[in-house]
Amino acid sequence: MSSDTAAALREPGLHVVGQVAMGFPLPRQSYANAAYGNTKPDTVSARWLTVRPDGTVVAYAGKVEYGQGIRTGLAIEVADELRVPLASVEVVLADTDLVPWDMGTFGSQSTARVGVQLRKAAATARQALIEMAADRLDLPAGELIASGGRVAPRSDASRAVPYADLIAGRSIAHDVDDAIALTAAADFTVMGRHHLRVDAVARVTGAAIYTQDIAPEGMLFAAVLRPPSRGAQLASVDLSVAERMPGVALTVSDGDLVAVLADTDERATRAAAVVQAQWSERTDHPSHLDLPVLLLSSGHDPFVTQEAGALDEGFRAAEGVLEATYFLPYVSNAPMEPRAAVARWEGERVTVWAGTQRPFGIRTELAQALGIDETQIRIIVPEVGGAFGSKSPYPIAIEAARLAKLAGRPVRVAYDRADEMTYATFRPAALITIKSGFRADGTIVAWQSDGYHAGDRPFLGRRGSETPYETPHVRVTTYTSDSPLPSGSYRSLGGAANHFAREVHIDELAALLKIDPVEMRLRNLANPRFRRVLERAAEAHGWGGGKGQGVAIGVDVGSYAATCVQLDVQGAEARVERVTVALDCGLVVNPDGVRNQAEGSIVQGMGTALYEAMDFHGGRVLNAGFTRYRVPRSNDAPAIETVLCGDDTTPSTGAGEPAIVPIAAAIANAVYDRTGQRIRELPLQRQLR
Amino acid sequence: MVTLRINGQPHEAAEPGRNLLSFIRYEAGLTGTKYGCGEGLCGACTVLVDGQALRSCTTTVGAVAGGDITTIEGLATDGALHPVQQAFVDESAMQCGYCIPGFIMTSVALLARDAHPGSAQIREALALNMCRCGTYQRILRAVEQAAQRTGGEGS
Repeated sequence: MSSDTAAALREPGLHVVGQVAMGFPLPRQSYANAAYGNTKPDTVSARWLTVRPDGTVVAYAGKVEYGQGIRTGLAIEVADELRVPLASVEVVLADTDLVPWDMGTFGSQSTARVGVQLRKAAATARQALIEMAADRLDLPAGELIASGGRVAPRSDASRAVPYADLIAGRSIAHDVDDAIALTAAADFTVMGRHHLRVDAVARVTGAAIYTQDIAPEGMLFAAVLRPPSRGAQLASVDLSVAERMPGVALTVSDGDLVAVLADTDERATRAAAVVQAQWSERTDHPSHLDLPVLLLSSGHDPFVTQEAGALDEGFRAAEGVLEATYFLPYVSNAPMEPRAAVARWEGERVTVWAGTQRPFGIRTELAQALGIDETQIRIIVPEVGGAFGSKSPYPIAIEAARLAKLAGRPVRVAYDRADEMTYATFRPAALITIKSGFRADGTIVAWQSDGYHAGDRPFLGRRGSETPYETPHVRVTTYTSDSPLPSGSYRSLGGAANHFAREVHIDELAALLKIDPVEMRLRNLANPRFRRVLERAAEAHGWGGGKGQGVAIGVDVGSYAATCVQLDVQGAEARVERVTVALDCGLVVNPDGVRNQAEGSIVQGMGTALYEAMDFHGGRVLNAGFTRYRVPRSNDAPAIETVLCGDDTTPSTGAGEPAIVPIAAAIANAVYDRTGQRIRELPLQRQLR
Repeated sequence: MVTLRINGQPHEAAEPGRNLLSFIRYEAGLTGTKYGCGEGLCGACTVLVDGQALRSCTTTVGAVAGGDITTIEGLATDGALHPVQQAFVDESAMQCGYCIPGFIMTSVALLARDAHPGSAQIREALALNMCRCGTYQRILRAVEQAAQRTGGEGS
């Protein structure tokens, strides 16, 4: 137990303490070990939950709220297990001084893992309160029941004792009981019901505070000099004009960090514009037009994610063979809030506000960069204005801390829109070839897929590469290819690319064999969860009527999705009119939260299908801004129906990502249905004839 | 020296060329109005100037001298949410929430000039606001709901 935890446990209240590294089984997908297996083997215990002396509850988690609704979802879980009203639960997130260590908020793990840990903590607290009441009332614990923040004899509600009276201002600590029975779905009173977001009022009144809004007394605004092209080296810099500009408090040239610090953001930007800098730039940068060849020719480290039977035997047994290549460009996460960081030193200790998905990871990086101990650093993650994977890297947190140290005052470093879309990571570009062997009845007998994914982190491209269709002879291989732009996390990582290729290919087979696309998939699917989402989506959508329909299925983070699309094409503009998604993410804690995530995934995935692609040349991103990078807007938005069809008895799996994996293929397949044009390359509006 | 009123309070700006968004956020301390793109393309910085929706990120304080500015913080009266704010809460029309103040201000301006907009008018009015979380369906529903609630009162 760390000393911080020990101090916390001396505060009045009933505390529940548990291991930070949670022993939950990892998801069984092949990417799981690569993606999630690096959980820090930190054996330190931490406080997960406190019932305060007044009977209200505070839950602690290292996860970050960037819109996905986890503050609401986790509060719902705690309220239900502790038998208290939702309004009496507060959830404290992502403040490294207060919450259990966490690897980061990605891979849809908040409900699946931390939610379960908090349910156990809440159930442990409830059981402890029942046992305290048993002593007080001199009754066996089994005759008592907790409800509405009180414990009462089952037979006599008038003898109810409020939690506050049981705690009576004492400090009590319990360990999380890992084996404790959690509330069964049939007995839920808060989980599974419709709730408004607990943070809704703050979000509609401007009271929600994001990193961009943090301004400690005396704060200076920094404008940091950034390279004009990737890999450019600073040859010389002259700050003499900039430092005489109005409002400039300080200029900094500290190794690789050159900045102007001023009393307003505008004055910092104006002064930075007159910094005289000479750069040495590379001249060998590829452009986005080089990507397909580059991906294919630079692919290395083949990794087989799925293998069965013998491919040559499968293709010999096939009555037909289809081979096709699919391409997806880099796309930008482009969250609405550009990243910002604010640092304030107090003696040898620094507090950094940063809207990152990895507060503890950033703390470690900061300690290394500054040569100080992690205990000297507090990272606070305020509200985060969207991320979708791109706010894991957060180099400006280090810049802000360094500049604040030099200035002796709080300093803010913020990206503008162009910075946010330039000094960022992008969803990896991918080129995928698929060769399938089939019989005339639609049975797939052989499947060879080779995926070339940009970037040096192989697990990005492996995710979702396995075919879910029953196929006797299979080999799926992913390759790591050179990446001219930094590739990084984006909702479902390579899952979206792999699904696009596979689900368009299945549609091509269906068209070739004149089999209905839903029927084609059902003929090759055995997994009952897959079959169910597909059947439910087709039924709810009214599949089969009218031109312009497309379907696709997918699995991601253990959750299953099937998507049907209705669209129209006018010239070079495709308009998605209606989308139906059936989603099975197991037990649903917060149905409206899941629907909201599914809708968001579909709109975002629609953007990648129709419009979005990073253009780059000479080491420069050419469309870092909303003038030249189109994203979906209100008048592009389709009507979306989400059908939840998971079982209450199946553990919760992720809801933030699965709905994005089928949508691009469903749209491309609908374009084929509408126009007869087969789209194998995104964004498809660049392909429409 | 430029004088303007923000949410009923008088403010003075020394430089007419000062960016209005920067002034609202860092001089007036009203951070509910957001920076999203700095080019007037995303709508996160939308405020009302004499009742009209305006992109504050591409406006100077001098351009709105003497104007009556309302920000998201100025909508609620006596602790009661404005009907548009309440509708966004009721429809859970938000995820990260960063764009939401801009959507609400644009919607308030729309309903002030047209108490009974159809869904096509609402889509058109909100077409220049961006929500990267993709909550458009909910936002459109919220504005329709607010229009129904307030339309009858002629407000």
